[in-house]
Amino acid sequence: MSVRSQLNVIQVSGLSKCVSTLEGSLTILSDINFAVKSGESVAIVGASGSGKSTLLSLLAGLDVASQGEIYLDGDALSTLDEEARARVRAEKVGFVFQSFMLVQSLTALENVMLPAELAGDHDAKIQALSLLEKVGLSHRLAHYPSQLSGGEQQRVAIARAFVGSPKILFADEPSANLDSKNGYLIESLLFDLNKQNGTTLILVTHDEQLAKQCQRILHIEGGQLEKISEGVPVDVD
Amino acid sequence: MWIKLAFKLFSRELRRGELTIIFAAIALAVLTVFSLSSITERISLNIEQKSSDFIAADRRLSSNHAFEPEFLNNAKLHGLETAQMLVFDSMLFANNELVLGAVKAVTNAYPLRGKITIKDTLINQTYEVDEGPKTGSVWLSEGLFYTLNVKVGDEVELGAGVFIISKVLVNEPDAPFFSLSGNKRVLLNYDDIPTTKAVQPGSRVFHRLLFAGSKSQITNYYAWLKPQLRNNQNWEGIKDRQSPLGNNLDRAESFLLLAGLFGIMLAAVAMAVSAKRYCERQYDPVAMMKTLGGSRVTIRNIFLLHLSLVTIFSIIAGLVIGFVLQYIGAGYLAQFMGTELPQSGFRPWLLSTFIGVICALMFSLKPLLDLFDIPPLRVLRRNLGDTLALSRIHITVSLMTIFVLMWLFSGEIVTTLILFGSTLLVIAILFGISRLLFSVGRRLGLRPGSSWSLAIATLQKRANANAIQLISFALAIKLMLFLVVLKNDMISDWQMQVPEDAPNMFVINIAEQEVEPLKLFFRDNEIPHEAFYPVFSGRVDAVNGEEFARRLSKQEGEEKDKDAREGVSREPNLTWLDNLPEGNEIIEGQWFSDSDEIEVSVFDGWKDALDLTLGDTLTILVNEQKFNVKVTSFRKVNWGTLKPNFVMILSPNMAGKVPVTYFSAAQLQDSNTKNISQLLQRYPTISMIDIKSQIEQAQSIISQVTLAIGFVLSIVLISGGLVLVSQVQASLAERIQEVVILRTLGAKGRLIKLATLYEFLLLGAISGLVAAMISDIALLVIQQQLFNLDGRLHPYIWLLGPVSGATFVAIIGYVMVAKTMRQNTQGLLRKLS
Repeated sequence: MSVRSQLNVIQVSGLSKCVSTLEGSLTILSDINFAVKSGESVAIVGASGSGKSTLLSLLAGLDVASQGEIYLDGDALSTLDEEARARVRAEKVGFVFQSFMLVQSLTALENVMLPAELAGDHDAKIQALSLLEKVGLSHRLAHYPSQLSGGEQQRVAIARAFVGSPKILFADEPSANLDSKNGYLIESLLFDLNKQNGTTLILVTHDEQLAKQCQRILHIEGGQLEKISEGVPVDVD
Repeated sequence: MWIKLAFKLFSRELRRGELTIIFAAIALAVLTVFSLSSITERISLNIEQKSSDFIAADRRLSSNHAFEPEFLNNAKLHGLETAQMLVFDSMLFANNELVLGAVKAVTNAYPLRGKITIKDTLINQTYEVDEGPKTGSVWLSEGLFYTLNVKVGDEVELGAGVFIISKVLVNEPDAPFFSLSGNKRVLLNYDDIPTTKAVQPGSRVFHRLLFAGSKSQITNYYAWLKPQLRNNQNWEGIKDRQSPLGNNLDRAESFLLLAGLFGIMLAAVAMAVSAKRYCERQYDPVAMMKTLGGSRVTIRNIFLLHLSLVTIFSIIAGLVIGFVLQYIGAGYLAQFMGTELPQSGFRPWLLSTFIGVICALMFSLKPLLDLFDIPPLRVLRRNLGDTLALSRIHITVSLMTIFVLMWLFSGEIVTTLILFGSTLLVIAILFGISRLLFSVGRRLGLRPGSSWSLAIATLQKRANANAIQLISFALAIKLMLFLVVLKNDMISDWQMQVPEDAPNMFVINIAEQEVEPLKLFFRDNEIPHEAFYPVFSGRVDAVNGEEFARRLSKQEGEEKDKDAREGVSREPNLTWLDNLPEGNEIIEGQWFSDSDEIEVSVFDGWKDALDLTLGDTLTILVNEQKFNVKVTSFRKVNWGTLKPNFVMILSPNMAGKVPVTYFSAAQLQDSNTKNISQLLQRYPTISMIDIKSQIEQAQSIISQVTLAIGFVLSIVLISGGLVLVSQVQASLAERIQEVVILRTLGAKGRLIKLATLYEFLLLGAISGLVAAMISDIALLVIQQQLFNLDGRLHPYIWLLGPVSGATFVAIIGYVMVAKTMRQNTQGLLRKLS
């Protein structure tokens, strides 16, 4: 492991992703290289089908790369099997999704407790209560997702994402399913919690305004990293 | 920690109703198997006991020669209860009247099974006793009291001995149901045989040894006995297969079994559908849990615990409900059969629990394995994993499981194959129809103009998904139609056997000169009666000149030689007839020609037993006179009727060659009793056998079995309903999505509701039509193969199928969907998310 990779919470080098189709092999991402420092906020932007969600899935260890390497807080993801990657996610990663992805049969509180329970933490409830208070939902603890508004559901999802104080938070279009007011609230909450916890934020969006709030923006086009804006020092080989 | 989470998720899923169908399906399969196997086992045990009563023992050894003493001694060493019996004819003399009586001399242990029914005097009430007369006394049947003009307490000469008549013999468990000895029966103590001096060397007597004991005692004893048996010694088993009651109960047992199979099949389909749906609904939570770091082991444990809990609770519920149902059912049957049904063993408990576990495991295994394989990436790519839902392995495993369960439950490979095969045919035809609709549907858009066109277009657009629904609906309707029709046919067949106006009295021993006066008597008293059949006894002595015993020695195995010896050792009642009697069917050869040769039509059961073919010559011994008769046909005989049936019917040119008596049957009312007494006094040789009690018993059992069948049918209907509910539930999300889209596009609520209703009507009608077609064909086969009924097509179900299918599916489907459609679009959108 290089010294540089120790300083960077995410280190990506020579990353490619190909999938097999009836017509043959299709390259979705090609030779992506960049690094993200701890506590940094980075937006990944690009048109639909550009490969930004694929990049997110590879960074989070939800999928495996065809080529190249990703170091996630020092762990080389390509060397890990699915179970080990799940452990890495449990210890270091939080997620917020466009479609909230709450478990419908669990209440708001139970949804937030879920990652801690899966990790075997005994203080799951204390953590969850504190986080739900932070996102302003302490009065909605016993409500099921179907009884919450879209904005409230996404706030529950954000509270869940911060359980266990993850080092990295991945957010996939977090405000795309919300109206502008709720969307703004959610975005503010994300950036606030990011700053408060010193969490690294990787945000996938096609909203330019949202992207600009991040320290750096990675522009993906046709599966390639076209440019990095905002002039924040990023290693691009 | 995962256990707490698993229980939490489980309780929530239960409350949300996600597990209800799985729970209900397993419970239904368990309660169906338990209640049916328990009831059928109890009925079987009861039949076995009753059958033992028919021979007054569990096993009987008969011969026309005395048995070796060690036969009896060894039986006692094997722990068997024994009794001895000697049957012979002897003259009885009293009041200057002389008559030939059929004497049965029995030891004190007789009867080993069943009871003897007697009366203290002719006018007293009957009651049952456990042993026969004491030495020095005899019991006479009612006919002898009239013939000899005696009363209880009088003396009667039997052979060389003089005995006190102490009781009126009404019935013994092994009394012949119908024989020429009829109503001239005498029961004598075995120790009094020497006093009668009626049994001399060369006398025509029948020796019988009766045995009773446990199955293992009998098996062990028979293993010792079998090598020593001679050809003239006949080992008789239980189950009187030719008795009308036995036949009907056998059919009822088959029906209950079949209904149980259908119940299992339907519950299995409901289970498979609901398990698949449940697992599909868990794809997102599982993907999320994996994303949040949940390990595969944790997720596997959580869902295996869910399945285990559902299985355990549903099996317990199934067993409890099944036990209560069989308890009520057996109580009902016992009340009407006039006897307590014996308790069943552990088999129903074990079998139903096993089937519950197998159902749960096999039908949910593949969906569960798919669930564990759901990639975490699904949180980003929402359709990932959907293709796993319907795999060939899942279908194959499910089909094989259903087949094995059916086979396991029925123990009948042929029935299972017919049912399973016809069901696969339904699936194939429906799949073809849905593919056809789909191919047409691709060329059509969704036409929301009118409710009907919207319904048809929706059906076509979704034909692929509808294929599964169509198949499930059709299966449920097919099985239900099948049972309804079979039940109707079986019950009407029974009612035909024992119609309201069935004869209730057999009149036998009618001399030729008594036929006309008797006909006159019946006419004057307006008593309906059957034809008068000439009857005589004869024994088959040889086949194609070959002595009979040698042919028998070729038989192997207990079953075969038991039947064969039983068939030929007795002297059957023979007749000659111009026409084939009702309830008989020629299955090989021709009815009599005008040939001068005497021809014979033989019951097909004797064909195999005696290894006969058409054209064989039988030598029949009648009163020491030999007749050679040619076999010209084999007949199927419906022994289930309470009408006289004959093993052998001779051609009319037999008339005048042997002395005969005549036989008839009449329907007597209580008001005829006085006239009948006068008739019997005028013609004392005529005997009457009252079969009223048999008819009443048969009718009561038929009505009770009909009740039991109705109960089973309702279980199957519930299973069918469950299949429909699970299927509609499985398609609910897709339907909601469509409703949302249509509403957003401005479609009126009424249009959507009607379109949904019409869609279900069409689905039900198509399913019902195909189900009716296939059911009718399968019914033909099943009726002939399993139920021994005349197979026929049932045109009315071709209408009943689509109509009932449309109604059933429309009501269940619409009620389920309508509840959802009442919500506003916002509510539906939330439900979808």
